Amino acid sequence: MTSTAQTPDAADQDDVVALLMRQHGDIRNLFDEVERTTGDDRRDAFRRLVRLLAVHETAEQEVVHPFARQLFDGGQGVVADRLAEEKHAKQALAQLDAMDPDSPGFLPGLRHLRTDVMEHARAEERYEFAQLRRRADPERLAALAKAVKAAEATAPTHPHPAVQGAAANMAAGPFAALMDRTKDAVRKAMGKDG
Amino acid sequence: MTFNPLEQRGIPLDRQLRNWRELAVEPVDPDRSDPYTRCRIITMNGIEVEAILFSHQFARHCQDPEVKRKLAEVRYIEAQQQKAVNWLLPGVSSVLETTISYEQVAVDLTAWVARAEPDPYLKQAYQFGVLEDFDHLYRYANLYEMIEHRKAEEIVDQLTEVMPGRPTPLHHRHPVDNVREPYDRRQTDPLSKLHALTVMSAEQQTMNFYMNVGPTYMEPIARKLYQEIGLIEEEHVTHYESLVDPGETWWEQLVHHEYNECYLYHSFMEQESDRRVKAIWELHLNMELEHLHTACDLMRRHDGRDPAEVVAPQLPNVLTFEPNKQYLRELIADQLDLTTLGTGYVREAHERFERMQQQLNGDGPAPSDEVMQRHQEMFGRDYRVQTEGEHPAFATGHWN
Repeated sequence: MTSTAQTPDAADQDDVVALLMRQHGDIRNLFDEVERTTGDDRRDAFRRLVRLLAVHETAEQEVVHPFARQLFDGGQGVVADRLAEEKHAKQALAQLDAMDPDSPGFLPGLRHLRTDVMEHARAEERYEFAQLRRRADPERLAALAKAVKAAEATAPTHPHPAVQGAAANMAAGPFAALMDRTKDAVRKAMGKDG
Repeated sequence: MTFNPLEQRGIPLDRQLRNWRELAVEPVDPDRSDPYTRCRIITMNGIEVEAILFSHQFARHCQDPEVKRKLAEVRYIEAQQQKAVNWLLPGVSSVLETTISYEQVAVDLTAWVARAEPDPYLKQAYQFGVLEDFDHLYRYANLYEMIEHRKAEEIVDQLTEVMPGRPTPLHHRHPVDNVREPYDRRQTDPLSKLHALTVMSAEQQTMNFYMNVGPTYMEPIARKLYQEIGLIEEEHVTHYESLVDPGETWWEQLVHHEYNECYLYHSFMEQESDRRVKAIWELHLNMELEHLHTACDLMRRHDGRDPAEVVAPQLPNVLTFEPNKQYLRELIADQLDLTTLGTGYVREAHERFERMQQQLNGDGPAPSDEVMQRHQEMFGRDYRVQTEGEHPAFATGHWN
């Protein structure tokens, strides 16, 4: 087999839909990696998966959904359905996050989450992204892509923020904390670039 | 195991109808099911679609209302079979993922048939065609990585290699050069008739699929690639359908269709790894035995002939989905530069071929080449799955 190296920076990512669809693929790739590894490799892959999911979902919630909501008739409903799916997946992820990746319940839980995330991603592509491409002008789609990328570049890599109390963090779960911090970074980036 | 479907009875026709609950099949897992299970599903869908379309054509050429009613009765059951089979495919798969499975079918089904085909002229037709499907798989796999950031090996699972075959832009031949010579229905091995019908049906389904799903893509490059390969699938249907002896009567063709459905459901039942899907193959085999019985009755009554004269006395060896990597590598080494001239094959780009090429490819690159250029720009490489070493045509100068 030839090179499997990813060079995402070389990718033509000036359209927010293309960018997010590729991230859907990257998320699935990481699910595969978690499933195929063990021990520390699995822990490491799972951390990267959690981070990518947090960053990706936050960017969608902060950048893409608000735009889609007012873009087309029925946008409110479509976005509400997606948010419900995201909430569902977030709960499943929080449960998984609390488990040891080598424990017997981890893989069944991971497969369940993979299915939820994939169904959610396809629904976004078919019912939300298709409308973005149809109704938003290319400049706007490019600006949104820029905002998403800027947000992701500044997103935290660890769930534990120095400014928040550890107790609050534990109550909400590390994944929720990571999403909160990413949200802050996204809003900051949006102010700068959006 | 000897199995003569002419001597078996299945489920009585009036007990074959399924209700909504029975038709609501659970789809297979898009990521973790056996790739060859998906290939068997796609193949049987193509076979059932051909059964339905053939029966409609037959009915439109049929004067006898009694026969029309009998055809309608069997056809409705076949339409239900098509739903039960094709609805095994998962809704979360993208169109491109399903497309890559279609090309895996085209590669490993056609390669297997080429290996098993006893008639040298027919064998050559399959060997010629498979090198083109092989290249389509490569082009779609590169498009898939561009759009979805996923690797086609997650779909074909290294059972099928993904690398260049006969370059897709060279598949556009003058239409008259796509018409082959038919086999002789009185002389040919009954197995050859089944092979021709199977590969023709699979290619026809691929043609129908691409012509309908292509415009559902938003990405201009994807829309263009489906147009290009969709047109080549039309060439392939012309190529394979012309292998069938047009002198076969409608009754005889109906018997061949039903016999082939028995053969394939039986084959797939024997090798299916998914227990739930295997149960569907078994159920459908038991339905098809009765459809075959009905077709044989019609042939005896209206054609005045015994169906046993035109079909094999027992089912041939099971048609198998399995890797054909070495076989394909040999074909790539030997036959990559072939094209067709009339009903034969040549290695030179003749005048009619050149003219067609100029008309289609003369004003800018073919979409299949544009995909590769764009992929190269994005990733600095092409996407391949070469599990068995270097590409066999590397030395011929086709690619570097």
